Amino acid sequence: MTAVIQTRGLSKRYRRVRALSDCTITVPEGRISALIGPNGAGKTTLLRLLSGLAKPTAGEMAVLGGTPRQDPVFLAEIGYLAQEMPLYRRFTADDHIGIGAHLNRRWDAGYAQDRLRSLNIPLDRAAGSLSGGQRAQVALALTLAKKPGLLLLDEPVAALDPLARRHFLATLAEAVADGGLTVVLSSHLLADLERVADHLILLAASRVQLCGDIETLLAEHHVLVGPRKDTTAIEKARTVVQAVRTARQTTLLVRGNAPVIDPDWESDEVGLEEMVLAYMGQDAAPAPAQLTTVGEDQ
Amino acid sequence: MTWLVWRQHRAQFYVGAALLAALAVLLLITGLQMASQYHSAIAACTANRSCTDQGGLFLGNRAVGFLVIMTLGTPVLAGLFWGAPLVAAELETGTSQFAWMQSVTRRRWLAVKTGWMLLAAAVWGGVISALVTWWSGPNNALHLDAFNNGRFDIMGLVPVAYALFAMALGIAAGTLLRRTLPAMAVTLAGFVAVRAVIALWLRPHYMSAVTVTYNLLRGYTPAGSYWQLGQGVLDPNGHLVPVPNGPAAFGVAMGYLPASCAPLNGGATKVAPSCAQALGRFHGVITYQPAGRYWAFQGIETGIFVLLAAILITVAAVVLLRRDA
Repeated sequence: MTAVIQTRGLSKRYRRVRALSDCTITVPEGRISALIGPNGAGKTTLLRLLSGLAKPTAGEMAVLGGTPRQDPVFLAEIGYLAQEMPLYRRFTADDHIGIGAHLNRRWDAGYAQDRLRSLNIPLDRAAGSLSGGQRAQVALALTLAKKPGLLLLDEPVAALDPLARRHFLATLAEAVADGGLTVVLSSHLLADLERVADHLILLAASRVQLCGDIETLLAEHHVLVGPRKDTTAIEKARTVVQAVRTARQTTLLVRGNAPVIDPDWESDEVGLEEMVLAYMGQDAAPAPAQLTTVGEDQ
Repeated sequence: MTWLVWRQHRAQFYVGAALLAALAVLLLITGLQMASQYHSAIAACTANRSCTDQGGLFLGNRAVGFLVIMTLGTPVLAGLFWGAPLVAAELETGTSQFAWMQSVTRRRWLAVKTGWMLLAAAVWGGVISALVTWWSGPNNALHLDAFNNGRFDIMGLVPVAYALFAMALGIAAGTLLRRTLPAMAVTLAGFVAVRAVIALWLRPHYMSAVTVTYNLLRGYTPAGSYWQLGQGVLDPNGHLVPVPNGPAAFGVAMGYLPASCAPLNGGATKVAPSCAQALGRFHGVITYQPAGRYWAFQGIETGIFVLLAAILITVAAVVLLRRDA
């Protein structure tokens, strides 16, 4: 399977601030990749680098087989939607569809019109007078009408109500199922993405903590529950992502499939949310990360 | 892209066209009146051979004349209201991110927008200048002042170059500052400063001025619409005599002259021989740019401002294309 996105050591620095450090990810074709991380983790920076709107300070990347560049052929394949969902305030949805038709060689005006009509969004009212949710739908419809090979969506559902979110994500899933489309969408609402995403990129503190197919990642992680005791043996065999110790019990989230022989430990499968939250709690350390101790008794 | 530019700016276009049309109507009506007034005055004075001094003939309506002088300020309007927001407003509202994520490169986006805006600025400056130049024809013939500061700046080619410069300054300021209002402020201040520096300190030196020393009693006036840069009186040693601050004759303070010159200060026209002899040791001096250099100066000044505009557009393009969007 070919990779639509492949980066190595990608970094972005704004004056003194590291927005993204040493980011190495691969996103295969046809995936819906959830880009997750706390605020300020570098999600927007990564998407802007992939779209070519920003240039990296270090590292390399291949997006759709080439470096992101100012070239109509490359731009035609990228659908990027910024978090602010920028639209011309005085222009109507129809005006925007007209702009798209003039600025793109490949453009499905009918698709955008049909989609907005079915959502009961007026095509003839200035964008500035639409509600936030309506504007988001217009911006999303315009991004989809471009028919790109790679969709980069920055918090696309944040402005939508729960029903609209579900509809939109279903639309994305359909579009991907039709083939030829790969999606990376960021959010810090994991529950939204769990339904449609089959790939995960987890950023925390400007670094990649996890990147891979969700199923594979879940298969690699386990929760070990056991008595309060020394964990050195386990740390040797596996990577401990998170350790929670109470007076009587130790709960470890571990990565790796080396067998645990000690019968005191009970191994359990991990949920996506549990796994993600464990990684999100980590600070600037690169993955695999240091031990964190939460809720230890005095 | 052209379609988008038109769609975004057609309201501004209509406003600009309406202003030009209003100015055209006003100047055509008053201009035609003035032209006929001038021609009948010339016909009348030719009939009774009194055409020596027409300078006192007042042409035109005072308010319209004021409006014409005010066209000094019209070029900068292009930079303020069309140039400064061109890029800045899009960066401010984020719509540039919408435009740049269509299949159009940033280079082409900027080139097409800037190209049309510069053309609009040239038309704006050119139409106003053409109207003002035509309207001022009789006055120029009468007062021979087309080369003077303030008149030179509103006629001929230079208003086109000023408008191009103002537009480029607005676009560059907007691109660098990314905000419309500060860009407008910088455009206004920058335009006024550059125009003033060039008009007051650079323009007089485009070509070395002509200096003529002449007999005070005979006097000397260069031909046509010359541009006078300086005038004075030289004493017998060739030093400039201070400008008289009291009784004087032919621009020489009475203190330098014999008593026989005193009546001249009182308004007498006959010069006593001893006074003439004394005055003969002084010379008048005039420094000026001859009328024949008018178009050369227009060309040089146009070149300077077009070059400045080109530099500003280049800076804007380099910054916009290198910087993260």
